[in-house]
Amino acid sequence: MEQRLANSLIMTVNEKKFIETALLSDLRVDGRRPFDYRKLSISFGREDGSSEVQLGNTRVMGFVTGQLVQPYRDRPNEGTLAIYTEFSPMADPSFEAGRPGESAIELGRIVDRGLRYDSLFTCLNFCSSTTESRAVDTESLCVISGKSLNLYGNRNLVDASNVAALAALSTFRRPECTLGENGQEVIVHPPEAREPLPLIIHHLPVAVTFAFIGKENVVVIDPTHHEEAVMGGSMTATLNTNGDVCAIQKAGGEGVLQSVIMQCLRIASVKAGDITSKIKSAVMLKRYDLKLIFRVKYSEFEKQVESYNTERSLRKIKRHNPSPAGYKH
Amino acid sequence: MAVDRADGRTPNQRRPVACTRGILHRAHGSASWAQGDTKVIAAVYGPKAGTRKNENPEKACIEVIWKPKTGQSGKPEREYEMVLKKTLQSICLLNVHPNTTTSIVIQVVNDDGALLPCAINAACAALVDAGIPLKHLAVAICCCMAEGGHILLDPSKIEEQKVKAFVYLVFPNSMVSVLPQGSLRLGGELMEHGIITSVTHGMMAVDDYFSCLKLGRAAAAELSDLLRSSLKLKAGNDPSKAG
Repeated sequence: MEQRLANSLIMTVNEKKFIETALLSDLRVDGRRPFDYRKLSISFGREDGSSEVQLGNTRVMGFVTGQLVQPYRDRPNEGTLAIYTEFSPMADPSFEAGRPGESAIELGRIVDRGLRYDSLFTCLNFCSSTTESRAVDTESLCVISGKSLNLYGNRNLVDASNVAALAALSTFRRPECTLGENGQEVIVHPPEAREPLPLIIHHLPVAVTFAFIGKENVVVIDPTHHEEAVMGGSMTATLNTNGDVCAIQKAGGEGVLQSVIMQCLRIASVKAGDITSKIKSAVMLKRYDLKLIFRVKYSEFEKQVESYNTERSLRKIKRHNPSPAGYKH
Repeated sequence: MAVDRADGRTPNQRRPVACTRGILHRAHGSASWAQGDTKVIAAVYGPKAGTRKNENPEKACIEVIWKPKTGQSGKPEREYEMVLKKTLQSICLLNVHPNTTTSIVIQVVNDDGALLPCAINAACAALVDAGIPLKHLAVAICCCMAEGGHILLDPSKIEEQKVKAFVYLVFPNSMVSVLPQGSLRLGGELMEHGIITSVTHGMMAVDDYFSCLKLGRAAAAELSDLLRSSLKLKAGNDPSKAG
């Protein structure tokens, strides 16, 4: 009972020794090999821009919201991205409701750094196509996307929340806006009138976390709660499939050889490729609404995609009348 | 008096309910409850040692934390927490574990109308999953008064915003008693005909309120049968949770 109340897991010496010794023979407590990820499953909510990611027993939910605001004066062509993370007391009874603790803030900063500084996506400015000068007009408005992540679960929250953020952003759609006649006001079109637009995402930076356990520089990927309690240090590398390193976070902990770091980065790029393809296929499935309506076996994929595409376009036409069926897009 | 509802339901028809228990690995009890598109996850931790300040140490204390879908917790969340706390306090057996705190955390996944009833149902299922001793279950339902005087059951968000008034009702679940004298009676009336909680928004006539109660009670009886069968099913499969 006390274990569940403490924030850092109190491990007995026996447990620590067991984990370290098992790792010397490349065995992990849950049966994985040192560089195996836990099972990752990505699902989406009803609305555009809400995702739920499950990495083993860790669950992270992400929501994207957008708001029309004025841009910063020195960057009139860009919108802003803000990330809010919240550790729910649902995850661990020691998390306090209310203000995020320092680990929540650190997590938010890691995810933020991976997403922000690589021109991940361009946030939009609305200018009428006639006058270019409107692009720098300080009265023009830009869209920001805010994101909030709710986390609960069994650790390695960084990777899971990163995937949740990416999945949510990939499916978010913002309402279309145009400038009014006099060019000063912006009209936001409701989703019924005009199809909302997806965000433009250049690439998907995926975070991969490594834990360094024991004195022999044993490295494991995707640590669980117990492994995190035993580890000497950890490193999170954020990479994309183009081979770029977006961010690396290694905050303190044991010193690690450079060769080990290089090996980690190489492994991370392979894993990043796997995770990116998983995210992309999950987003594709969501777009075709297959998971919500049908349970499709892979062999029937093509047939269903065909009939579903036509049904979806039919539904779009009928959207002005309330449809009797309970399905919504 | 056929009323057209946007999703094709009749006025007395509630949305399909999906209830799953034991979804969170570390919580002592957890449940997710979805009514149509409204989905809520509840987690229970407890009993933990000690009560909050100003709480009676001779009884168990219930603490509710409500997490909205996005944004910070504000006044509406405090109100939900208070209603939920009072409702759950009345169904829990508080004398079994004195001087302890049981925390219930509610996370809103999606809000499409009837949010508070959904949360109460989820919290109840989570308490059952955690094995907290309860007197009986609470079954919550929402009824609203549409234009033209019709009463609609389980409104969606769009319907809730359009109606004059709506009410959240919580009833005890229907009893199946093994005692020869049948269900518990209090003062000659059946226990399950009582009301635990009623929260109204907007103005409605007294007669309309009573008709809402009648409709709500019938729906709650049906919902409690569903709850009973779904809880029994899970307990049968999972010997570690039973008993």
